[in-house]
Amino acid sequence: MDTIQLLKGVEVFDGLSETELKRIAGICQEAQYQKGDMITTQGETGDEMFIIREGFVEISVGEASEAAPSTATSTHPPALSASAQDAPHALVSLGMGQVVGEMALVDHGPRSATARCVMDQTTVIAIKREAFEQLCQSDHHIGMIVYRNLAADLSFKLRHRHLTRR
Amino acid sequence: MVYKISIVVPGAEHGGAIINTSEMPKVGDHLKVGEFELEVIEIMDLMPPRGDFHFMHATCKLANK
Repeated sequence: MDTIQLLKGVEVFDGLSETELKRIAGICQEAQYQKGDMITTQGETGDEMFIIREGFVEISVGEASEAAPSTATSTHPPALSASAQDAPHALVSLGMGQVVGEMALVDHGPRSATARCVMDQTTVIAIKREAFEQLCQSDHHIGMIVYRNLAADLSFKLRHRHLTRR
Repeated sequence: MVYKISIVVPGAEHGGAIINTSEMPKVGDHLKVGEFELEVIEIMDLMPPRGDFHFMHATCKLANK
């Protein structure tokens, strides 16, 4: 499956034309991970979001205190970083077409969770914040559609989270 | 059409999964979630469809192998 076909199956890009999808594909970079590899680490700074092309990624919180940046290098308040008393807790597993790390594009904050691959040969598409913001500045329609869809994706994840607590 | 599915297994410690499928799951269907195979026991709309996407919630149990 080429990148354009993959992007057509990702909710975040729903509503974009073929030409607009090609522009998105132009800022995508592919990366491959093995089982156990971490794509993001809770508390660290991050400037990319990832789309899962193949495999599964487990999202968890409360286990990154050792990997979190020191206060000497972090610009984020300690309260936003993982704390040692948090027990590791798996929030959700995400499959093909799902988005990981999108909050870094929206709020520029530290990673809110750790994303760990649970299958070998997990492939993701990475989009850098700077390239994405430049694209949105140059094409406001892309920006409006993608940011609306990012809000809907976050809403979906929140609804899912509520349903796990029924 | 793309069916974006929120999957929860009642009683499990894990927080479930979110996957995309090209066909709408029905009760009794099996879904592969990582290393697990799950059986759908309830399916419902989670949000109204938008564009090419439907948004569903599936309650599942571990499938008998």
